[in-house]
Amino acid sequence: MSAEAGSRDFEALEAAFREALIAAGVVRDDEVAERVELIYSRTPALGARVVARAWFDPAFKARLLADGSAAVRELGIEVGTLKLVVVANEERAHNLVVCTLCSCYPRMLLGLPPDWYKSIAYRSRAVREPRAVLAEFGVSLPPDVAVRVHDSTADMRYLVLPLRPKGTEHLDEAACAALVTRDAMIGVAIPAAPTSASSAP
Amino acid sequence: MVHDVGGRPAHEAIPREQHPFMPWEMRVDALMWLLTDAGRPGGPRMTVDELRRGIESLPADEYRTLGYYEKWLLSMLRVLGERGTIDAEAIRRRAEAIAHERGHAHE
Amino acid sequence: MSTAAHARFVPGDRVRVAQREVTGHVRTPGYIRGKRGVVERICGAFRNPEQLAYGVWDGPVVPLYRIRFAQADVWPAAESALDTLDVEIYEHWLERDDA
Repeated sequence: MSAEAGSRDFEALEAAFREALIAAGVVRDDEVAERVELIYSRTPALGARVVARAWFDPAFKARLLADGSAAVRELGIEVGTLKLVVVANEERAHNLVVCTLCSCYPRMLLGLPPDWYKSIAYRSRAVREPRAVLAEFGVSLPPDVAVRVHDSTADMRYLVLPLRPKGTEHLDEAACAALVTRDAMIGVAIPAAPTSASSAP
Repeated sequence: MVHDVGGRPAHEAIPREQHPFMPWEMRVDALMWLLTDAGRPGGPRMTVDELRRGIESLPADEYRTLGYYEKWLLSMLRVLGERGTIDAEAIRRRAEAIAHERGHAHE
Repeated sequence: MSTAAHARFVPGDRVRVAQREVTGHVRTPGYIRGKRGVVERICGAFRNPEQLAYGVWDGPVVPLYRIRFAQADVWPAAESALDTLDVEIYEHWLERDDA
């Protein structure tokens, strides 16, 4: 690639590239627009549904841990070629997901990854000092809780199944799903029950 | 290699700012999805592995400083140019013309 | 996803990641090469990214494993003796660890 990359107009480059692909009959303009809509349609709410179902249905949870993609399809979520591994937090184990080599991420369930997940700082530190990384995200674990880091180096994609927070026994499945954030499904956050002072999580 | 960063000493805080996704970036993502889709007529035109390889072959300073989708776009141009699917140089010239036209449009 | 009927290793096997310097595209991070771990699961068999990255799309599938490492076995100063690190590694990067 060239030395003037820094001054290049990438928006113009994308336009020229797309023009050429359309002229070559490789893609159509309407297909590109359609895929952009599909990209936007995937949000962490999909992953949150999966988590909440696992909280309410232990048999589903077992199937989810055995074959993540198959279990997710039971909920009517189309995930294409995603090969999902779901890793469950336990009282004495906390999971954290990273892709050190690039930025692999379960996009069909969580949408686009955040910039911090793709940063060299996260990718280099999460495998080596996960507890320091977690502390930076405000997660402090007792010393008797093991941290399990998952480096997404090949074909599998990872979703953390957080523990259901205490104090949610009165909530239904949809209300529980609303407590599950993207960051909790990556492993840098822990879901909290809504406080009595707030009406919404 | 520059992209193989796991465990490298990095005492910097993890940057938490989220930039808003630009429409051209989303189109790059969509194009990549289309180009690697085995289910479309004509089959896949490249693989995600080729995308990664193209990104990993960027000069180290570009790898570190270019934006995420900027690297994708450069890699896609390289891989598809190698394959003869597109003429990367013609695209670069056309991009300069487009950028020039846009510059004049704001005068 | 192909079955891994000819997988060399099974969950529980002790393995060591090859210490190999390569140029070109690989999915075995440098930090894990030469390290010892245990097979956590067989993920299946997939085409080799080292070939897929260079236009060879019809090569043979290779068994892929998740290997679990103790962080204390990977880094000189791991944060905790309890912590683990799971990495997906292709079979041709693994050797049986009889030590």
